[in-house]
Amino acid sequence: MVLEMTVNGKAIKVEVNPNARLLDVLRENLGLTGAKEGCSGEGECGACTVIMDGKAVNSCLVLALQARGKEIITIEGLESNGELDRLQQAFIDQGAIQCGYCTPGMIMAAKALLMGNPHPSEAEIRLGIAGNLCRCTGYLKIISAIQEVAGTNLRKGGQDDDGV
Amino acid sequence: MGEEGQGLKYVGKNLPIHDGAAKVRGRIKYTGDLALEGMLIAKLLFSPLPHAKILSIDAKAALAIPGVIGVYTHENTPKTHYNSQVWFDGQEAMTLEDERIFTDTVRFVGDKVAAVLAVDERTAQEALGLIKVEYEALPFNVDPEKAFDNVVSIHPVQEPFFTKEFHCGNSDEVFEQAEIIVEDRVETPKVHHAAMEPHVCIAVPDHNGKITILTPCQIMYSVRLTVAKVLGLPFNKVRVIKTPMGGSFGGKQEVILEPLCAYLAQSSEKPVKLELNRKECIISTRTRTKVIGVVKTAVDGRGKILARDFQVIADTGAYTSNGAAIVSAMGKKLFRLYRVDNQRYQGRAVHTNTTVAGACRGYGTPQIMAISELNIDSTARRLGMDPLEFRVKNLVQPQDSDLSGGPSLGDARVIECALEGAKAFEWSEKRAREPLVGRYKRGVGMACSTHGNGYYGAFQDFVTMTLRMLEDGSMILLSGLHELGCGTITSTKQIIAEVMDMDPDRIEMSEGDTETSPYDIGSQASRVMHVCGAAALKIAQSVKGLFRSQAAFIFKCSPEDVVMCDEMTWSIKEPDKRLTYGEIARTVQRQHQLELIITETYRATDNPGSYGANFVEVEVDTLTGLIKVLDVVAAFDVGKAINPDFVKGQIYGGIQMGVGFALTEDIKIDPLTGIVKSDSFANYHIVNAPDMPPMRVILIEKGENDGPYGAKSIGEIATCAIAPAIVSAVNHALGTNLTVLPLTPERILMGLLPQKK
Ligand code: FES
Ligand code: FES
Repeated sequence: MVLEMTVNGKAIKVEVNPNARLLDVLRENLGLTGAKEGCSGEGECGACTVIMDGKAVNSCLVLALQARGKEIITIEGLESNGELDRLQQAFIDQGAIQCGYCTPGMIMAAKALLMGNPHPSEAEIRLGIAGNLCRCTGYLKIISAIQEVAGTNLRKGGQDDDGV
Repeated sequence: MGEEGQGLKYVGKNLPIHDGAAKVRGRIKYTGDLALEGMLIAKLLFSPLPHAKILSIDAKAALAIPGVIGVYTHENTPKTHYNSQVWFDGQEAMTLEDERIFTDTVRFVGDKVAAVLAVDERTAQEALGLIKVEYEALPFNVDPEKAFDNVVSIHPVQEPFFTKEFHCGNSDEVFEQAEIIVEDRVETPKVHHAAMEPHVCIAVPDHNGKITILTPCQIMYSVRLTVAKVLGLPFNKVRVIKTPMGGSFGGKQEVILEPLCAYLAQSSEKPVKLELNRKECIISTRTRTKVIGVVKTAVDGRGKILARDFQVIADTGAYTSNGAAIVSAMGKKLFRLYRVDNQRYQGRAVHTNTTVAGACRGYGTPQIMAISELNIDSTARRLGMDPLEFRVKNLVQPQDSDLSGGPSLGDARVIECALEGAKAFEWSEKRAREPLVGRYKRGVGMACSTHGNGYYGAFQDFVTMTLRMLEDGSMILLSGLHELGCGTITSTKQIIAEVMDMDPDRIEMSEGDTETSPYDIGSQASRVMHVCGAAALKIAQSVKGLFRSQAAFIFKCSPEDVVMCDEMTWSIKEPDKRLTYGEIARTVQRQHQLELIITETYRATDNPGSYGANFVEVEVDTLTGLIKVLDVVAAFDVGKAINPDFVKGQIYGGIQMGVGFALTEDIKIDPLTGIVKSDSFANYHIVNAPDMPPMRVILIEKGENDGPYGAKSIGEIATCAIAPAIVSAVNHALGTNLTVLPLTPERILMGLLPQKK
């Protein structure tokens, strides 16, 4: 079947199997291997997280055809004109990356969180990435990286916040 | 070495990880992300029974599916036996070789029965379902203590198949006379490594009979050794390339998928990818070794330990793997943490019909520390002494010797860890607090740990490296380093940059490739920063010496007069005449036909202990049995942090694993069927962000050892003290003496029952 959707700002038209998952189409048909499969597609690890119409989804739980007409952002689509998104830069600067396998999913979950709530408290950040498992970092630096960006937003917005 | 932080330009600084940009952009290619031209996909059929003879395998229907290339079983694959943890030629003699690519007798639920090789995953998966296997079920045993009865025979050996003893002094005599003896039985579970990247490997044959293996491994020379053996190839026809690592923690240290994948590539003459899913990783790869320990401690009334005795059983699962090695490793640690003049350790390893155990972050240390530390706690309780005070009285001190005959403990600063950690945690204040009344109880606990720094004193521990300066002044290090995500490459760059006085970004380091890398025994035994880091330091000093002697020719001065700074060099006598490093390299090539390159072998010269003390506060809900870790202070003696952020990253991650080890993680096996019940992240719980406690880290950096700038290991010890500290805090909160990990809500509620009566 034909699937039309927008991926990282580009209109895409691909022939897909009706039971293909969004994760498979991104990785196999479109070569976007940033999203990973960490838990046999059970929605338990978050490594496959992408943003669909502004919300973080586990792309292993989304049938590709459910993405019809939707706007998908993957980790590959975060940077613009060769410049890293602030979250990506903050992950590097804060040391939020070790093996890096959870990183794309983690950043996309954080991105969706900040899109909906630019100044999350620490508790809200922890909750926002609750579905994303990381075995390397103990999450602390990941939380700091997200806080850094939330703080930057905050300085621009000029308001106070409880979590940062 | 052991220099102080002052005056260092790169060492001790928080540089970001070298491949961070590739990782945040989603551009780094892990093995599972690779798709080679013409690549076939292999899928595995696993045993549904814990112990059975395979009577027949009918693959006709599977083979009839278009796109299926072959079905492989014990009937058409090599019968060579091997042991997956052997990492050097000759080590086989010290262990049992009881694994094969495929077996005719399955020994656990998850044992490999057959592989389908097909053009794509869907076809392979469909064909798997059509393979008919006839089994004759055999009696099985999943209980390590029952293994001693030898009723179920898993291998043609008597159980326990391995026994190791270490001792010092005369503990029997002391126990006979001692007035206070405190005994505990401690149990630790099988744990899943839970690297986010599942197990995966790709094998590629070439036109000359060579097989190249792309694998996220920890010991590429171990992969080469076992694959060459199974395929009957000379070593130079097996090329192993270590690919980016999506997490290992010991789980990818052993040679698990590679021999089969290489064989499939060899026989099909096509590239083959073999990738497991999460359930397959949990049930069929490796686990942390389940351990049961009975420990006795004799003390005098003033709190001096007089003697200790340990009887320990290690359940290595269905195949031997590192069952013998881990029993030895656990025993040795006991002689390196407390001053005990009379001590005996007897460790025994048995097989059970369960998932195979293997290397797992700490290599037995988290288990033996849980056993030792929980008993130290209950001994202090019996004495009515503060557990911190009791420990400080008995912990080892700098330059103590290992009474079992191991290498010196070096500048062992565990007492400093304990005291500094206690201060930051406000131990005395918290310990003295009035207990809460009502449903929620709070408690504080602590534990200490030690771990090693390489193989010195046990096995050969050396590494060869080649360092060269190119004509533009940039450098390349050729080595067998394996980056596991801990920051090995960046830290090594920092060391070389420090010596050469140049930007670390101007140094390139390829990782392990058995065809181009000099020999290295791999990323194991907590050796990388202490041993390979020292090798990098030494070779950089040698290249620097060569550089200065050549520059001296050019500047017509003596080598001692040559100054090197930020890739500029000059003679102290003529500071105005400055050349870049690149200009020196080019001039040397032109005038002397010489390359600035040195190959050197470094041999480890010491094996000090790394040390830690962890402090924890918990809150227990006595109604539900749920535990919340409220606060953690972790103090570690790391000698010197080459990159403090990386060191802290290891500690935070180690605590994450340790919280799981203490509270939630357990590969539960149904005693009636042998089936793993916790076979997905839905029922195997690793700690997520909301459940992680706040963590404060204290680093003790006093150097004084042969590591680079005095650096000692952190990655493994980071997870060794946290679990007993948590259990100790729970026992303090509840007034219990719980010693079976993990402390699930059911165990908490059971533990509280006697108090309710
Ligand atoms: S692969 Fe989608 S949540 Fe794990
Ligand atoms: S960095 Fe390795 S899993 Fe998160």
